[in-house]
Amino acid sequence: MAKRMIALFAVVTAAAVLLAAIAGTASSRRTASPIKIGVSLSQSGDFSDPGKAVKRGYELWAAYVNAHGGILGRQVQLKIVDDASNPNQAVTNYQTLITRDHVDLVFGPFSSLLTGPSATIANRYHYAFLEPAGGGPKVFALKLPNLFFVQPAPVVKCGDTFTAYLKTLPAGARPKTASYASLDDPFASPIADAMQAQLSKMGIKTVYKTIYPAETTDLTPIVEKAIAPKPDLIVGGTQSVDAYSQVKALIQAGYNPKFLFYANGANSPVEFPSKVGKGNVNGIFSCSDWTPTSPSTGNKVFVSQYIKRYGGTPFKIDNNSAEAWAVGQLLQTVAAKTGSIDNQKIITTLHKGVWPTIEGNLSWDAYGAPSGNDLLVEWVNGRLLPVFPANFALAKPTSPKPPWGG
Amino acid sequence: MHIFVQACILGLLTGGVYALMASGLALAFGVMRVINVAQGALIILGAYLSYTLYTDLGLDPFVGLIVVTPLMFLLGVALQLVFLRLLRDEEREELSLLVTWAIALGIEGVLSLAYQTSYRSTITGYADKSWHMLGYHISVARSYAFIASFVVLGLLFAILRFTKLGRGIRATVQNPTAARLLGVDTRMISALGFGLSVATAAAAGAVYGIVFPFNPGSHYDLISRLLTIIVLGGLGSLGGAVVAALFMGVTESVFAAEFSPVWSSFTFFVVLIVMLVFRPEGLFGARVRGAI
Repeated sequence: MAKRMIALFAVVTAAAVLLAAIAGTASSRRTASPIKIGVSLSQSGDFSDPGKAVKRGYELWAAYVNAHGGILGRQVQLKIVDDASNPNQAVTNYQTLITRDHVDLVFGPFSSLLTGPSATIANRYHYAFLEPAGGGPKVFALKLPNLFFVQPAPVVKCGDTFTAYLKTLPAGARPKTASYASLDDPFASPIADAMQAQLSKMGIKTVYKTIYPAETTDLTPIVEKAIAPKPDLIVGGTQSVDAYSQVKALIQAGYNPKFLFYANGANSPVEFPSKVGKGNVNGIFSCSDWTPTSPSTGNKVFVSQYIKRYGGTPFKIDNNSAEAWAVGQLLQTVAAKTGSIDNQKIITTLHKGVWPTIEGNLSWDAYGAPSGNDLLVEWVNGRLLPVFPANFALAKPTSPKPPWGG
Repeated sequence: MHIFVQACILGLLTGGVYALMASGLALAFGVMRVINVAQGALIILGAYLSYTLYTDLGLDPFVGLIVVTPLMFLLGVALQLVFLRLLRDEEREELSLLVTWAIALGIEGVLSLAYQTSYRSTITGYADKSWHMLGYHISVARSYAFIASFVVLGLLFAILRFTKLGRGIRATVQNPTAARLLGVDTRMISALGFGLSVATAAAAGAVYGIVFPFNPGSHYDLISRLLTIIVLGGLGSLGGAVVAALFMGVTESVFAAEFSPVWSSFTFFVVLIVMLVFRPEGLFGARVRGAI
C-alpha cells in the first residue's frame, strides 16, 4: 500500500513538474512574443511617395530597435498595409488591424486627410495614436484624447518663426509691403492668413492678397498681379506644385522680391531644386520640422542609420522618414518610462511632461496639438539649411534675397 | 491697363498650348466619333517621354519629338485596333467614353509605377527665360510652345487637306458608308486617324512638360479643360478648338489677374453654359457630320 502510495506520489509529482515545465515554457514564450504594431500607409495613389518615405522611417526604426533588444525585451513586428491614399481604406485597415489582427499598438498614416478618420477609429478602441504627418487644423478639431502629432508645431504655425526672424531685423531692413497668394487648402492658406495677421501688426502693409483654387494650373497671371505693387515680401501659402509654379512665374516676370517665403514645396531638399532649377533656390525661406543637423535627441543615430541602410547624404533625407522614426522613438521612451505598452497608460503618460525625440522636445495639448515651433529654413548656396532660431541655425539668414540664378 | 495687356499676352500664349492639346481630341471625335477621354493621359505620357529623353539623353523636348511622335502614333494605332475597333457604330460614342477612360487609368497606373507620383518639370535652358518689350515680358518657352502648336496644327491641316490619307479621313468623317463604297478602307483610315490624333499628344506633352509641372494624375484636370474647349469650339472642329482654346486662355488669364482666380475658371464655364443653351453645336460645330 505504502509502495503504491509512493509510486502514485512520484507519478503526481512528475506530472506536476512536467506541467510546470510546460507552463513555464509557454509563459516564457508569451513574454518573448513580439509587439505587433499596425500601420496603414499610402503605398499607392496620390500620397505614395511620402507614404513610402514614412514606411522607410518606420522600418528603419523597427530594425534598429530590434537590433538593440527590442522594447521591454520584446521584438517589434510591424504590420504595414496599403490604403491607396484613400481615407476610407485607411479606416478599414485600422479596423482590421485592431479587431482581426489584434495588434498591440498602432502608428499613424501619412497626411491629415487620412489621420483624422484613422485616429477616430483608434480612439473608439482606446488605442493610442502616435502619428507623424497629420498636423492640419481639422485633425485637432476632432478633439481626440488618444492622438499625438509627433512634430514640433501644428501646420498653421509654419510661418511663426519667419515673422519672429523679421522682428530681429532693424526697422530699415524689414519689408515694408507684402503680397500673399495662397492655395485654397486647409494646410496652405491658414498659414498665410496667420502670417498676414502677425506681419500687419508689425506694420508690414498688405498690397495684394488672393486665394486660388486647387485646379489653377497656371499661376502666372496671379503672380503678375501680386508683383504689380512691387512688394518687398511675397508669402506663398503653398502646398507643393503651386510653389514651383509661383517661382517659375516670378523668374519669367523677372521680379526678385527682397524676401520670399513658401509654406510648403520649398522645404523639400530633393524635389524643390529639381522643379525650379538649382540656380533659382537661393534666398527662399520656408519652415521645417526637422533637419539632419539638429542637435535633438537621437538625431545623429537616425541620420547614420538612415544613410547606412538607404544611402545618400544627410540633406537628402526626406523629413517624412524622420517623422516616422520619431514616432517609434517616442513609443520606445514612453514604454521604458511606464514599463508597459498598455495603450491607456501610454495616452495618460504622454499628456504629462516633455518628450525628447529627433523632432525636438515635444509636449501636447489635450487633443494632440504640439506646443513648439518649426524651424526657419532657407536655401543657402544650393542647400536647405536651418537659419533661425540661432541655437539650431547652420547659417545666418540672408536678406535681401539674391537674384534669380545666383 | 498694363496688367490687362500682360494678361492678354499670357492668355494668348497659354491658349495656343491648349489649342494643340485639344486638337487631337477634336480629330478623334471628328474622324471616329470617339470621345477620347484618354487624351489627357496620353499628353502626360508624352510629357514623361520628352522629360526622360531630356534628362537621360539631353535631347531638347522639341527635338525629341522626332522620336516621341512616331511612338505615340503607333500607340494610337494600336489602341484603336485593340480597343476601339471592336465597338459597334451605334454605341461607339457612349462606349468609347468607358473604354478610353479605362485606357487613361491604365496609362496613369503605369506612369505611377514607372515614375512614382511626385511632380516633374522639364527644365530646359529657356524654360524660365523671357523677352522684355515695351515693359511687357513674353515667356520664351510659351512662345516656342505657341509656335510649335501652330506648326503642328498647320501640319495636321495640310495632312487633312492635301494628302490621300487626309481625303480618306474627311470622306470617312462625312459618310463612312459612301467612303467604303468608293474603296476607302475606313477601318484603316480610322486607325491611322486615331494614330494621328494621339501623335499630337507627343507635341502637346513636350510643351506641357516645359510650361507646367506634371505627375501621372495631372490628366484629370487637363481632360476636363480639353473637353470644355472642344465643346465650346464645336465637337470635331479643329478650327473651333483653336478659337475656343485661345478664348479660354485669355479669359482665364484676364479674370485671374484683374478679378479673382476663383472667377477665372467659373467665367469660362458660364460662357460654356450660355453656348450650350443657345448654340449647342458649339462655335464652329456643324449640325451634321463632316465638320472637320
